[in-house]
Amino acid sequence: MIIDQEKCIGCKLCQPYCPMGAIEYLEEEKKCRINLDECVECGICLRPDPCKKGALYQQELDELRLLRQVFSNPLVPHKTTSVPGRGTEEMKTNDVTGRFKRGHAGVACELGRPGTGTRFKDVEKVAMAVAKVGVTFEPHNPVTALMVDNTTGKLKDEILNEKVLSAIVEFDVEIGKLSEALTAIKNVAPELDTVFSLDLACRCEPDNSVPAEEIARSVGFRPSINGKTNVGLGRPLAEEE
Amino acid sequence: MTHTLHRYGTAESLENDYVIFAIAAQTVNAKGKAPVFGEFFNIVEKYNYVFCGDMKTGNKYTVGLESIREGFRDNSIVHAVFTEKEEVAKVLKELAEADLGLSIVVSGILDHVDECCRKAGIKRHTVEYSLGIHGKTEKLPQEDELLAINTMCGHGMIAFNLIRHMVDKIKAGKKTPEQAAKELASQCHCGVVNPTRAAELLKELVK
Repeated sequence: MIIDQEKCIGCKLCQPYCPMGAIEYLEEEKKCRINLDECVECGICLRPDPCKKGALYQQELDELRLLRQVFSNPLVPHKTTSVPGRGTEEMKTNDVTGRFKRGHAGVACELGRPGTGTRFKDVEKVAMAVAKVGVTFEPHNPVTALMVDNTTGKLKDEILNEKVLSAIVEFDVEIGKLSEALTAIKNVAPELDTVFSLDLACRCEPDNSVPAEEIARSVGFRPSINGKTNVGLGRPLAEEE
Repeated sequence: MTHTLHRYGTAESLENDYVIFAIAAQTVNAKGKAPVFGEFFNIVEKYNYVFCGDMKTGNKYTVGLESIREGFRDNSIVHAVFTEKEEVAKVLKELAEADLGLSIVVSGILDHVDECCRKAGIKRHTVEYSLGIHGKTEKLPQEDELLAINTMCGHGMIAFNLIRHMVDKIKAGKKTPEQAAKELASQCHCGVVNPTRAAELLKELVK
């Protein structure tokens, strides 16, 4: 995003909308300017049309700026998914896809959420930490598409300093390795320069229990009282193994 | 991974916050589902929802109900927000009877949603837990209510600074908490923010 310096009158009406705080006010010039290193190209500032002078505009984006946009603007679908936003269908359609089977768990570590943003170097730290456990990265996830090696979690060097609103390291893990994977995430957390929100998805057992919950507790996580439930109304139902 | 998980707050506040949404699996059953989203929407509209939207079109405040109804596509994700679990149970019961074939997901207090499923005569298929926020948490604002409003939009479209800006407007008498909540909710393209809960949280922040 760019602010046309000729048109800007320095009213600062656009400033509160930026989730990254990337709109700076230049005292001397009495104008606002976007800090492009911090701007994640989410387009959030443009959507409510706060600028009465038409100074805010979306510039033409090169490859790296487009990368920022696809991870930050939920209205832009990534080429690896048909789903708008930076996520996947994950457990939302698990009743139909059978993506997370009994005996497995789905884990997603969303770096930069809430409201902080992340650089890919932090995303790589988490991906490489869990790769050592022997997880299977979700093939349709946009972060997985940026890996040079799915067995190590290593990302392309040229993107490591790019900042995005959030990025999700998403994987399937055998239930027997879940505690190890969660512990790896816990251990890498102090090395990060951002926050992350952590998800754990699991197929319910016939008795309605969810085995992953107890495993998470056993390694020191406290699941929130609220979460998401796929109520199993999708058809055709995925075949159970 | 998910736009309606990680809704932060106290148990008391979360008791009034549920999202029901419908989605089709793009690789399995999405083809031809656009009109079925209309059937889903017709059902949820009979009940007391407080906000709604379609990921492909926009939310009730920004594009309006007619545009939402006319804009359903095979890859829509259609949401409605409720403040009472009793309404959630009724919606689930009618959705189960309608047998639309869409995947239906409910975000909210897990025990309450399980109870709603039982009342509707259905069994949970998959559960997703939020294991919390970790890492450099000192980067987050100190006010819990601010975090609670921000996390209602999982795509992060409500900036912390915008919430603070609205608090200032309320303090200055330029907006009511309800008007400010509506403006914040309109930022959420999918329509998953709960404006009723947001207004209550804004009142706490103004104190």
